[in-house]
Amino acid sequence: MPDGIEIQLKKGVLGLCVLALLSGRDNYAYEIAARLADDIGMGEGTIYPLMRRMQTDGLVETYLVESQSGPSRKYYRLTDAGRRAFESQKAEWTSFAHAVDGILNAPTPQAAGETA
Amino acid sequence: MTRAEFLTRLRRGLNGLPPETVDEIVADHEAHFVEAAAKGRNDPEIAAALGNPERLAREVRAEAGLARWEAEKTPGNAVAAMVALIGLASLDILFLLPLLVGVVSSLAAVFVAAIAVFIAGGVVFVAGPFAGAPGGPVVALLLGVGVMALGVVMAAVTAVLTIWLVNALVWFGRLHYRLLKPALQQSNSGDI
Repeated sequence: MPDGIEIQLKKGVLGLCVLALLSGRDNYAYEIAARLADDIGMGEGTIYPLMRRMQTDGLVETYLVESQSGPSRKYYRLTDAGRRAFESQKAEWTSFAHAVDGILNAPTPQAAGETA
Repeated sequence: MTRAEFLTRLRRGLNGLPPETVDEIVADHEAHFVEAAAKGRNDPEIAAALGNPERLAREVRAEAGLARWEAEKTPGNAVAAMVALIGLASLDILFLLPLLVGVVSSLAAVFVAAIAVFIAGGVVFVAGPFAGAPGGPVVALLLGVGVMALGVVMAAVTAVLTIWLVNALVWFGRLHYRLLKPALQQSNSGDI
């Protein structure tokens, strides 16, 4: 499978993105799915298994909110463990992205022989 | 695909998981349709964006099977993890299948051989002293114990190799399927 690395990369950051969105404010799955589909091209179908897993891992919890139109909505919020996971993953991602940027933007090194 | 068709196929695909889990997953997707329709999208469009419901269900079931194996390394869970992975019915697995069958049958053969060696050792141990074996009864007893120990070692090595093989397959599956928990888990959770 040629796209293995891309899948792995997106999978890795998807959890971080969900944590980040929820660290701002509680939200319901459709909003999260729509946002991630638009911004990083994740299939909307990937979000529901991910939310379940994060719930099993104790990173998020749910509560129902009555809605004027239609059935009540299931909202997700970060738990304390989720908040800690967000902080540490964010720090990891930031240093990783910084390092990659440094490599991508490094000036092309002169070949050793030419300068002599 | 209509909303009802998507949800029916999803529910059918999830068959085998605990009923309350199935209900929850189906309810989540139903809510997704409701929310998306409120934003003006039509059902076929929403269903297409969600993806193939059977594939979605297979991946959820595979995840459940792998999680069980990682929680507890029992033979039953090893079979569950294998079935889950093969259930993904991917070309990769089909491609690997002949190789896998070879490896699994060799492991099984070595395991059977280990049992046979152990039994042979037992026979030597029990019958040797009375059969007038060369070297006398003590040599026969020691030989019997030695052969049985060899059988145990063979079985132990087979068990270790089998665990290693299942772990490798789980890792491989994780690496290739988008929904499964990332193979390279972030270090903060420390659950590997």
